[in-house]
Amino acid sequence: MSGKQRGPVARMLDYAGRRKPLTLIGCLLSALNAVLAVAPLVCIWFVLRDLVSVAPDWGAASGIERWGWLAFAFAAAGVVVYFCALVCTHLAAFRAAANMRKRSLDHLAKVPLGYYDTHASGEISRVIDGCAAQTEGVLAHTLPDFVGSLVSPVALLAVMFAVDWVLGVVCLIPVAISFLCMWLLMGGGRGGESDYMQFMMKYQDALTKMNKAATEYVRGIPVVKMFQQTVNSFRAFKQAIDGYTEFASKYVLLCEKPRLAQLVAINATFAVLVPAGILLASSAGDFPMFLTDFLFFVIFSALTTSMMNKVMYASEAVTMGSDAIRRIEELLSVSEVRSTGDEHPERFDVELRDVSFSYPNSDRRAVDHVTLSIPEGSTVALVGPSGGGKTTIASLVPRFWDVDEGGVVIGGIDVRDMEQSTVMDLVAFVFQNEHLFKESLLDNVRSSCPNASQAEVEEAIRAARCEDIVAKMPHGLKTMVGTDGVYLSGGERQRIALARAILKDAPIVVLDEATAFADPENESLIQEALSKLTRGKTVLMIAHRLSTVVGADEICVVDGGRIVERGCHDALVNAGGVYSRMWDDYQKSTSWKIERGDV
Amino acid sequence: MLQQKLGLSKEGASDFRKGVFFCALANLVLMAPVGVFYIATGEFVAHLDNPESPLPSLGMYVVAIVAVLAAMYLSQWAEYRATYGTVFQESSRKRIALAERLRELPLSFFGRKNLSDLTASIMKDCSDQERMFQHIMPQLFGTGISTALVAVGLLVFDWRLALAALWAVPVAVAIVLGSAKKQQAGSKKETACRLSLGDGIQEFIECAREIRSSNRSAAFLQKLYGRVDDFEKSQVGAELTTGALVASAQTVMRTGIATTVLAGSALIASGQIDFMVFFAFLLVVTRIYDPINSILEVIAELLGVRLSLGRIRSIMDEPTQQGSKDFSPKGYDVSFENVSFSYGDQEGTVLSDVSFVAKEGEVTALVGPSGGGKSTCAKLAARLWDANSGSIKVGGVDISTVDPEELLSKYSQVFQDVVLFDDTVMENIRLGRSSASDEEVLAAARAANCDEFVKLMPDGYQTMIGENGSLLSGGERQRVSIARALLKDAPIVLLDEATASLDVENETQVQEALSRLLAGKTVLVIAHRMRTVLNADKVVVLKDGRVSEQGRPKDLLETEGLFRHMVDLQNASSRWSIGA
Repeated sequence: MSGKQRGPVARMLDYAGRRKPLTLIGCLLSALNAVLAVAPLVCIWFVLRDLVSVAPDWGAASGIERWGWLAFAFAAAGVVVYFCALVCTHLAAFRAAANMRKRSLDHLAKVPLGYYDTHASGEISRVIDGCAAQTEGVLAHTLPDFVGSLVSPVALLAVMFAVDWVLGVVCLIPVAISFLCMWLLMGGGRGGESDYMQFMMKYQDALTKMNKAATEYVRGIPVVKMFQQTVNSFRAFKQAIDGYTEFASKYVLLCEKPRLAQLVAINATFAVLVPAGILLASSAGDFPMFLTDFLFFVIFSALTTSMMNKVMYASEAVTMGSDAIRRIEELLSVSEVRSTGDEHPERFDVELRDVSFSYPNSDRRAVDHVTLSIPEGSTVALVGPSGGGKTTIASLVPRFWDVDEGGVVIGGIDVRDMEQSTVMDLVAFVFQNEHLFKESLLDNVRSSCPNASQAEVEEAIRAARCEDIVAKMPHGLKTMVGTDGVYLSGGERQRIALARAILKDAPIVVLDEATAFADPENESLIQEALSKLTRGKTVLMIAHRLSTVVGADEICVVDGGRIVERGCHDALVNAGGVYSRMWDDYQKSTSWKIERGDV
Repeated sequence: MLQQKLGLSKEGASDFRKGVFFCALANLVLMAPVGVFYIATGEFVAHLDNPESPLPSLGMYVVAIVAVLAAMYLSQWAEYRATYGTVFQESSRKRIALAERLRELPLSFFGRKNLSDLTASIMKDCSDQERMFQHIMPQLFGTGISTALVAVGLLVFDWRLALAALWAVPVAVAIVLGSAKKQQAGSKKETACRLSLGDGIQEFIECAREIRSSNRSAAFLQKLYGRVDDFEKSQVGAELTTGALVASAQTVMRTGIATTVLAGSALIASGQIDFMVFFAFLLVVTRIYDPINSILEVIAELLGVRLSLGRIRSIMDEPTQQGSKDFSPKGYDVSFENVSFSYGDQEGTVLSDVSFVAKEGEVTALVGPSGGGKSTCAKLAARLWDANSGSIKVGGVDISTVDPEELLSKYSQVFQDVVLFDDTVMENIRLGRSSASDEEVLAAARAANCDEFVKLMPDGYQTMIGENGSLLSGGERQRVSIARALLKDAPIVLLDEATASLDVENETQVQEALSRLLAGKTVLVIAHRMRTVLNADKVVVLKDGRVSEQGRPKDLLETEGLFRHMVDLQNASSRWSIGA
């Protein structure tokens, strides 16, 4: 826990904010409790001392009752002090976890939007929620108990000099062994390099993997049913469960020897104390005195066990906690979207100037030297094979990602020179897989324009032809989405997203045309909506169905991250290039019919 | 009993019993040092009483100590193996049993629960219980048993002092148990806050694009911060209530120290007990409260586990669809006879009095406006739901009498939302028939036109396709799902026609694959594009849950019905273009 990098506990505590001192107070109280724990034992020892001093006339001892009451008083005080200690550390621990969650959420609001495409939602939420929770135990229990367990041997040392230092030193042997075992369990001073830490990391990975597989499994149950798969034949989930079980079992085995040694050590004071007593007894000058001292340590041996018991699992908690804080720090280190200015464009033409981009952790260029210009009010369509880069190019306009080279420019101003909110105000986008908020349908549509009146929302809903969706909802526009079994189909979500975009009335529209085809029965309605949405706007459209872009001002054929062909529909068809071949294919596919085939 | 109450498997229950046994045993062995102390002190005191009495001999004690240490190590080892060693196997069994159960539930169940709740209950509850069964539960029971045995021993040894030492224990336990309701209320609130926070975080991540686009980040964060704070507050509340109660119980319990000394000094003064008895009890009161303490501390946690056990049990107890495993239809005509259906009770009737026959070897198309009941018909045909009234027959057999899995083995389904798994292309296709050889999988993949795109992938058929197949495009997903269906080669095919046109770049490829799949089957198509079903053998037009017309497409086109109207409308929309 030393060296170049600060220890995990210190890093966790950074999040406790103003409650950080509470942890210190809690630790001090826990230390006080460790000292108080000595007192009842001393009292009981006084009882024995008083009795031994009158031996063998046992009945002659007097006044020993008050030691009993005093012992109780100290024990009760210990309970209260320890309770207060835990209150303090819990307050700090919960605050630290809360701040970790807030900080992570806050950071997530600033990372490039593309981050969400490359990271599974379950994974991100596990870091925010799960990892923060894992640090709670460390700060709330492990830390104060550890401090207590360090103090009790010191308290023991202090009193033992008053009694008999030889027997005192003997009693410390098991404590030392127990700490040694814990040190081994924590990785033997090798920090992150240790087998245990490695194991814990892999174990956490296995857990994450299992959680992901479970989500997949539940999502896939309809398929699983359809194909008579049992869980056992359902490879991924079964493997993830087995993998996790295997790791957990291995970890258990790895810890077995040091853990057992530790358990035996904290209960082994008798094993050193009794022989030492026997050896010293013969040479003892004052036997009653010696016996009194010996009894002191016999009574005290209980302390070692109870104090060390509390920190038995400290190593496990700290290892898990440090893995957790590492994952949180990793999330926080994802670079934020930064703006270099607060410009507001006057015009709304869009240009991509020699833009190149590759996804993080990929060396393949998803967009490779693309130059594109969309004059204000005109429509440019991107067509081409899937995986060719259409969606990536489109997502660069609302700055989901920052380009590696070149620049995305709106009205002569680079998007990086505008506040993100400015860009978002300028660009309305409707991609595939739109999500709805768990809010009322009304608020969902209104989200794009919070000041809109209900009448305006209703107008947008009409324009996007969503009336039928509203009509079948139990409470109309007021229906909460995503609760009580109210779910919208993919096509319906797209139409609500269109309504949102129409209400937003932004000058630039980035659009995936597949939206229109999520719901073929209402195709003509959605087409009307699209026409409304795009009228007079600067439009960049990803097109799948070539017939829908026949009227675009420019069509760019995108393949391999480059624009391989561009021009208007007629020119491209006549050019006899890629586009004209695509057009032929398209014509063919639209004449396909489902029919009884030959067996 | 135990098995049921704790939601354990058979092996788990037996492992658990072993765990409790070894834990109790290990705890008793841990009392052995007290015995060694007692005997050694006895010899010392005898020497004090009478200096003629010899001092204890080292050799004997060393032997005894080594024996006790060995017994300690062995008993702890047995306990460790019986608890930590088995608990992960048990939770793995439990996870698999739960997953298996989920698979057997009718799909109607999934409409009522959301996916994240379900997954959470598999994973979170299992993990919670893992932790509980790892050491808390065996320790609780083990410590309970060993403490009770020790208490009985003490009562036999000297009942007066035993009562003085232990009278407060039942009081302390009563305090904790008596306040269980209060604690539970706290932990329930905490759970509610945790779930609401989790939901909020999930929404924040899933809707990231929408939030950013509407510049609502600040408002959303504000809302989430509020939930984070609420959760923190509920945590503090729950923890403080429990902590304060447990602390007071512990305090009460420790009055035993005082009463023991009190009773002991009175008894020894009146000569009713000797020093060694008193000494034994003094040793005991310094040690016996700690294990009981830990019991008091975990009682609260036990209550939480009851909740998670309850959640798991509610899934295990959910009724499943029953039916005969023996399914021998005469041919594969699918017939709907006066079928009515509604989802649950909040929405209206989805289908009313629907009758039609989809003949073996023919293509029957279901058409009509969205929400008219087309998809519901297809789901009922495969008994993903059960009809409320009327009957659906396959080859003359009422499917509500057939085991759902047996029935499904006769169906293939190619729907719009293809579910793929984070596995290789090969395995995703093999899902269609687990027993298929690699060659068969490859043949199906070729027939479904998967070859062309799979060859471009880095590891071909061994390429991992990401969470829910995120690396594949819409059309590619479709082709994988068609390959699955081809591999399965079931006599009845349920097809959503939209799948044929999801991916325009590769539309013809998907269409070819589909044509191969449909050959010779009973085909029920949910059709959206009227043009594609003009050559079907039969068209059934559904509107508002009723059959408004049915017949050969050619005949329907000649009547001025809904089908004709839809065909006309779609002809117009296929000529739409942006900017035109």
